[in-house]
Formats: sequence, structure tokens, C-alpha cells
Amino acid sequence: MVLETGLSIAIQVLVWGLILGCIYVLLASGLNLIFGVMKLVNFAHGEFIVLGGYVSYWVVTLLNLNPYVAMLISMMVMGVFGVVIERTCFRRVLGTSKLNEILLSVGLIYILQNSMALLFTDYPRGIHSPYEKSIISLGILNLSLDWIIAIGVTVGILIGFYLLLNKTALGRAMRATSQNRKAAMLMGINVENIDMLTFGIGIALAAAAGTLLIIITSITPYAGSLPALKAFAIIILGGLGSPAGAVIGGLVYGIVEGAAVYLVGGTWRDAVGFIILILVLIVRPTGLFGEREK
Amino acid sequence: MKIVLHVEKLTSNYECVQVLWDVSFDVNEKEIVAIIGPNGAGKSTVVKTITGLCPPSGGEITFNGDRIDRMSPYKIARKGISLIPETRDIFPRMTVMDNLLLGTYVNKDVDLNSFGEWIFQLFPVLKTKSKKMARTLSGGEQQMLAIGRSLMSRPKMLILDEPSLGLSPIMVEKILDTITEINEKGMTILLVEQNVQEALEIAHRAYVLEEGRITRAGSGKELMKDERIKEVYLGM
Repeated sequence: MVLETGLSIAIQVLVWGLILGCIYVLLASGLNLIFGVMKLVNFAHGEFIVLGGYVSYWVVTLLNLNPYVAMLISMMVMGVFGVVIERTCFRRVLGTSKLNEILLSVGLIYILQNSMALLFTDYPRGIHSPYEKSIISLGILNLSLDWIIAIGVTVGILIGFYLLLNKTALGRAMRATSQNRKAAMLMGINVENIDMLTFGIGIALAAAAGTLLIIITSITPYAGSLPALKAFAIIILGGLGSPAGAVIGGLVYGIVEGAAVYLVGGTWRDAVGFIILILVLIVRPTGLFGEREK
Repeated sequence: MKIVLHVEKLTSNYECVQVLWDVSFDVNEKEIVAIIGPNGAGKSTVVKTITGLCPPSGGEITFNGDRIDRMSPYKIARKGISLIPETRDIFPRMTVMDNLLLGTYVNKDVDLNSFGEWIFQLFPVLKTKSKKMARTLSGGEQQMLAIGRSLMSRPKMLILDEPSLGLSPIMVEKILDTITEINEKGMTILLVEQNVQEALEIAHRAYVLEEGRITRAGSGKELMKDERIKEVYLGM
């Protein structure tokens, strides 16, 4: 009896860790894409996450739509927003100096955070999913339907992302740009357009993560910073530029964090992830799947 | 003969040092034109300027009647100029096949089957290694991949920057034979080379670039017989 309960709890913790993992994988994949193609560290990623969450919040509240439909809408809206931000802000600064890029990102953090606080107040917002109360029972397991859907939706998005990157001409152009920008230009690729699209896609993924966040918990305008920071840690953990690293790193991190909350309590949750990161980097400085790059 | 590339009085600066002085030359349709000269003469600068990687400080470059100086590299590529750089610049973490397919980004109407077959005929090793990561290829194979990739875009003119660099003599022969074969199929080629002997053997016409200036011009055969060239470059 005790064993059964123990197993049931373990699986619930595992699934919860997977949900966290889903959020982290979406974030890490987006950041990885932006870094890979544009060589840009987007410090404002966290703010785009919560903005994506807020867009979903308003779509659900005002239009009464299903939260997961709202997620798709948010991804599209934020994708376009990302393209606009890249075109108006980052394009002028890309390639000039790392300091310029960093300062621009940091500036965006404050502009976005304060705009959201002004427009939405810092009262925590959450979305109530219509599946909130539905529990799926599999023998001894009791899993929230939301959790299953969240994992399913994430898998769907990641499959789409993978197909785009590996099976389309555009994806090939993005990969080429990330590997050799000069050669990509010589092959007729308009790398500035690729930058815009890449940033848009990265932000769309952040919006998906933000929507998951607002469904499973609540957000304030400042709630994006910590997940973004962790996502950075994850792409370093998984190896900069490695898509597989972003996925596996994100899942491992999510599960470790989920387990840490259960085993050692909430105050340690953020520390545990970073401790794992430090340990991995000591053993394998280029990350789990990293390349020895210049 | 129809002039494909017309370069007039090109000047170029590299970090405040003038590298090219009033460089003028033409490439006609279906010709192989070589620019030869010693290291540091400015040959690569000429190539970078034509392909848009480096803006000229003066002069004009016209391609099939259109002014291309100061155009972005991707626009110049779309006009039909394809460069095989000195450093090959293949995409290391993509397969040989993906590298070749990338050549079609500029020109999506390419019939992959028939055209691809020709490229595999020219370079059989690319077919054998088509699923391998490009970075696992040897220097000579990467050179072949770079040429194949450029050919896939069905360019109107190929520019090869030092194709013999770093290759064994046998490989150099093979590559230059292939260049001749491609030219015989109708391709206009601009060849920039340090290996004067090999370049003059296959070029219809050549220009000698020394310290940023064109010092001599003539047919490949004429220049091979030229006393000064024989002495300075051919070790005779």
C-alpha cells in the first residue's frame, strides 16, 4: 500500500517535472535559435514570456476562448511582435558590438516590464483552464488532464519546429546562417530577413511557454526573469547551439526542479538547478551535447 | 563577344591602407579569365569587392549591364554571380546533400534530378558521401562541395578564389580539369590564382595584379611566353 502510494507520488512528481520541463524546453529552444542564428543573447526573453502569457490571458478573458487556442493566437501575435522588435531595435545594433546588444536587451527588459505593470498592474493573473477539474485515473495514478494536454501541445510545437528547421528550405537557410553567415550571404540568403524570422519564431516559442506558465500557475510582469535565467543555464548545460541539448537539458532541469520542490522544499528549488549546472560544467565544459567551437 | 563582367578603375581601402589602384578588367561570356599575382597583391580584395563583401572606395563594377558595386552580397548572388571562397566556407554541421540543396535557394527552378546527376558525375565522391557531415570531408572534397554548391545555383558567372590552395598536386590537376570541363559546358569563369603555371594553362585570358595594380594583360599563351612572367612567376 505504502509502495503504491510512493510510486504514485513519484510519478506525479515526475509528470509535474515534465510540465516544468516543457516550459523550459520551449524557452531553451527559442533562445538557442536566436543565439545560434543571430549570435545574440536576448536578455529580455523573460519579458516576452510573460507578455505572451498576458496576451493569452486577455484572449481567454475577453474572447472566452479555450486557453490552448489562446496559446496559438498568442504565439502568432507575439511572433509578429518579435519580428517588429527585431526590425526596429536589434537590426540597427546587431554586429556593432556585444555591449550594444546587451544594453539594448536590458533596456527592453525595463520598457516591457514597466509597460506591462502599467497596463496590467502587478496583480497576479492566472488562467482557469476548462480541464482544471478533470483528472485522468490510470490505475493508481491521478493526473490532471491539463498536464497531459500541456505535454501534448508542447510535443506538437516541438515537432513543428523540428520539421521547419530540418525539412524546409527556410529552415535550411536558417541553419546555414547560423553556421557561416558570410557563406549564407554568398548563397543568396537575405540574412537580415532570416534574423527577423528567427527572432519572431524564438519569441513565439516564448509566448507558448508563457501561456503554459499562466495556466499552471500565475504571473506578474516580473515573473519572466527567473525562467529566462534558467533557460540560459539550460542551453549552456545542454551545449550552446545544440537543439538536442536544449530539449534534453530542459527536461532534465524541469524534472530535477520538480523533484527538488517535493524533496527539499520550495526555497531550494531555484538553487538545485544551478547547482546541477555548475556540476555538469565542471565535468564537461562545453555542455552535454556541446561542440568545441571557436 | 558579349562582356559579362566589366570592372573599371576600382579602388579599395582596407583599414586606411589603399589596396587597389584603378583596377580595370573585363570578363567575356564563356571565357576563363585569370587574375594572377603574388600574395598580398590584392587579388582577394578584388573578389570581395565584386561579390559585395567589401565596398569599393571608387570605381564601377557592371554585371550584364547592371551596376553591382555597393550592392549587398545576397543581391549580387541573386544576380547570378557565385563565389567559391578561398576558405571554401562550406556549412560544417550540415550534410553534403544539404549543402548542395542550399545552392538552390537562389534558384528554385533547378531540376534536381538531372542537374544533380551532372554534379555527381563531375564529383562522384559527393554522391558517395552525400549523407555525411560536410566537416568530415577532406580539403579537396570540401573544395569540390563548394564548387558543386555554387553550380547548383545555375550561376551566370563563377568566381574561384585560389582553388588550388592547400591541395595536393594531383587534386589541383583534377580541380582545374573540372573547371575547364565546366567552362566547356558554357560557364563564364573568373579565376584568381597564386599558382601561375596552372592558371595560365587553362585561362583564355589573364591579368597580372601586382601591388594593387594591373601590370599586364593578355591571352594565357602570350603571358606564359612573357619573359618577365617566366622569370618571376614560373621560375625559368
